Amino acid sequence: MNQQGLWLRAGWFAAATLLMALFGAWLLFGRDRSPIQTDLLAMLPATERNPLAEVAAQRLAHANGDRVILLVANADDDRAKAAARELGHALAKDNVFASVTAELPPFDLQQWVAPYLAHRFTLLTDADRTALAQPGYNPAQALAQRVNEPFATGVGTRLQDDPFGWLQHWMDQQPWSRSPLVPEDNLLTAHRDDGSYVLVTATLNGSSYDDVIQKRALNAIDQAEQTIERDQPGTRLLRTGALFYAAAARAGAEHDVHVVGWISTIGIALLLLGVFRSPGPLLLAFLSTGIGIVAATTVSVLVFGQIYLLTLVFGAALLGEAVDYSIQYLSARANAGDAWEPRKGLRQVRPALLLALGTSLLGYALLGLVPFAALRQMACFAMTGMTAACLSVFWLLPALLQRAAKPLSTASVSVALALQNAVARFASGRRGIALAIVLMVLAIPGWWQLRHDDDVHLLVAPPVTLAAQEATIRDITGLGNGTQFYLVQGADSEQVLQREEALEQRLQSMVDASQLQGWLGVAGMVPSMQRQHANQALLAPLFAQPDRMRQWLDGAGFRHDDIERLLQAWPGTPLELQTWLKSPLATPFRYLWMGDAAHDGAATLVLPQGDASSALLQKAAADLPGVTLVDKPASISDLFGRYRRYASLWLLAAILLIVPVFGWRYSLHDVPRVLAPPVLGIAFTLAMLGYLHQPLTLFHWMALMLVLGVGANYAVFLREGEPHTVHRPGAMYASVLLSAITALLSFGLLALSSMPALRDFGLTLLLGIGFTALLVPTSVAHRTTFS
Amino acid sequence: MLLLCVALSVHAQASSPDLLHTVLGELSQHSAVRAAFNQQRQNPALTQAQDSSGQLLFVTGHGMLWQVQQPYQETLALTGSKTSRIDAAGHMQPVRNERGVGQISQMLQSMLAGQLDTVLRQFNVSVEGTPAQWTLHFTPKQARVAQVLRSIQLDGGAFLQGIRIDMQDGTQTDIRMTDTRDAGPLTALEKQALGLP
Repeated sequence: MNQQGLWLRAGWFAAATLLMALFGAWLLFGRDRSPIQTDLLAMLPATERNPLAEVAAQRLAHANGDRVILLVANADDDRAKAAARELGHALAKDNVFASVTAELPPFDLQQWVAPYLAHRFTLLTDADRTALAQPGYNPAQALAQRVNEPFATGVGTRLQDDPFGWLQHWMDQQPWSRSPLVPEDNLLTAHRDDGSYVLVTATLNGSSYDDVIQKRALNAIDQAEQTIERDQPGTRLLRTGALFYAAAARAGAEHDVHVVGWISTIGIALLLLGVFRSPGPLLLAFLSTGIGIVAATTVSVLVFGQIYLLTLVFGAALLGEAVDYSIQYLSARANAGDAWEPRKGLRQVRPALLLALGTSLLGYALLGLVPFAALRQMACFAMTGMTAACLSVFWLLPALLQRAAKPLSTASVSVALALQNAVARFASGRRGIALAIVLMVLAIPGWWQLRHDDDVHLLVAPPVTLAAQEATIRDITGLGNGTQFYLVQGADSEQVLQREEALEQRLQSMVDASQLQGWLGVAGMVPSMQRQHANQALLAPLFAQPDRMRQWLDGAGFRHDDIERLLQAWPGTPLELQTWLKSPLATPFRYLWMGDAAHDGAATLVLPQGDASSALLQKAAADLPGVTLVDKPASISDLFGRYRRYASLWLLAAILLIVPVFGWRYSLHDVPRVLAPPVLGIAFTLAMLGYLHQPLTLFHWMALMLVLGVGANYAVFLREGEPHTVHRPGAMYASVLLSAITALLSFGLLALSSMPALRDFGLTLLLGIGFTALLVPTSVAHRTTFS
Repeated sequence: MLLLCVALSVHAQASSPDLLHTVLGELSQHSAVRAAFNQQRQNPALTQAQDSSGQLLFVTGHGMLWQVQQPYQETLALTGSKTSRIDAAGHMQPVRNERGVGQISQMLQSMLAGQLDTVLRQFNVSVEGTPAQWTLHFTPKQARVAQVLRSIQLDGGAFLQGIRIDMQDGTQTDIRMTDTRDAGPLTALEKQALGLP
């Protein structure tokens, strides 16, 4: 290829890059909805096996997700209430909230009771059912107890409508009666020893994950908080809702991108300036990586429709691997001195780059086979990014690097040489084998101490204060946590309600044993027809002879007219599910009914309230047909465990896959020597992690995958490059060390991340790349020892 | 600070704050009290008044046991917001969880324990008489409670002697206490029912 061809190709490449960048910018910023996915849970796999469970989880997330729950606390009751009112008014003014509920609408008691009167003979509490089923049930005494009940307040039903109090008891059990929040001064209030708590809820006019909505809503809440804290001294505002978690996650990720991105960029810049002694190579190295990142982002958004935050952070780290290609080419130029000719230089590094790219692509393609959207996206991101960076070295850089460059700084080369010689001296011949054995023996106790941990909180680590506020709010308001629920399925609504009743019986006994705070389910509000008919059947003997009933009621002092009206009302009608669903009382609970979402049959959600362990909740669902506990955190932890095992297998498979590639390029006899640095690096890293008592997670293994990838690259670079730099001993190792240090500067800085998963990732890379870079001279040790 | 607030609101609402404090101070002197009671209830839905009688035990901070002996036998434990029925074998069965408006027993418990702030949150209080013979009037502050409950009146001297509850539907309950005395040691059953160690 001639000079013109070189420029032409570079021109085409530059134009393609520019188009790609413009397209990527449009995908990212040009559309209404940002494709950057900040919901960390969104990148987890859809709940497997049961698609309805996924619909249910999404519906719950929607019911809870766009809602902001605020609790205004003050030691002084009046101040707490005044602050809550003020907060309600302040938030209502902002149209980022679709609705704000602080003060309740006026409330008419009779309107609330009236719809239930027709069903009074079919709705019974468990306690009344048990009492009525007793052989010695004495109606006359039951009436006497009811009319003499101490401190009876008669809220709800009128005595003459419900002489035995059956409906009254049933209504007392309904969720709106059980809530720890009491309507006081038209506000939902709870009292604790340390003061009053008033509930204010708001629904967002959009998604919690939309960053515009997020900023506006947080602003409005923060401002309102300041106002009420000023106007009502001593007021505290507790907050919970997906909004705050999403905002915290975004802030954490932004912080990570800033810290990791900037420190690594500046670090790499200083390093390259120091070694190459001119800013040109530095800019080219960044250009090449930049092209890789742009292409990777664009293709990932195109393929997946959105890009996960974790991928972006991983992308920041990928800088370290992509920059290797340009560093190799730049080093070749620096080492060639005045004899530099861009096309010859390219031919010289091409085998090494292709081999390095090939092993990396092979590795990431393997990662892409894991059925985990986030891992696939990272694989896609890495493969595209590295291919683009490598292509930029082949097609763009030669045109831009026509002139010869200064050689590598002497200091860096002599340091590298000293290190290389030291390692080679220790690692050659029998001494090397002995040393390897000693190190292995030292590593054994470390391996022995390895444990693993698959807790979902590695991925989602909300700020402690948010988690504490949520726990307080849950404790005071009795609201559920929304991530654990039962899905009850059946052939029709009747079967579903019957199955739910079976479940709720177990849940109620957990409540009675104080293992659970409560539960919320449709069957508690509309019993199954079977249950309602059974209730009616329990009452039937009492009404079988109207004269006896007249006698009992008359004996208790009821008026003639009222008695006749009651007898007329018997047997009433059962409460129909569809009727209930349409009633205004059902509005807050309608989302529990999944009838419309289930394609065949029907389904409901039952929400356990309070803190019960997954195992206990699981036990309550055991052996109940159609009942599944959907426990997102637990199933995610389970998946993490599975993928961690996949990842460890992957590592082994990838090593085996590299063997024939290296065997083809070098000889089978030399493969152990080339593979030793990354493999031993991984082995020693595992031992160190064991000594550090770091439980292994999926993310440690992901980091080890990268260690294998870059470690193999280093061995290849050194072996391929060494023959070309015989005139300058140490120069090749200097360029490999340069690669390693840039990788450490970018990856290793992830150890500073706010996300535990990325911290693990960073630490592992820090150790793994460190060990591998130190060990890499052994891959050529038998050939060349310089003195 | 809290005491000051309470004192201020009492001052605003009670015609004679000193008397109210004297009364409360006197009542809370007795940490456990027994009495015999007679309850008469008049309900407009019923043609005649209902009478019941029995024994009660009140323990500050824990609640009360309400033992009906006539016209039927029943023991109820009213602890905080919970009401349980206790059978002859001592087994407790939750009757209902009262809340919202059903706070009269809670209010009484707070009153007798001298916790005025809890009471003042829910009721306007006025007092008349002398420390030897006083009457306290309570009217609900909360509109939702006032829809149901008209007023409560307590009277007594060294001990609480009578409770009168007027509901908006016309129901009147009159409880008279006699033979009121410090409780002395509690039986194991009583301790268990009230959640005492």
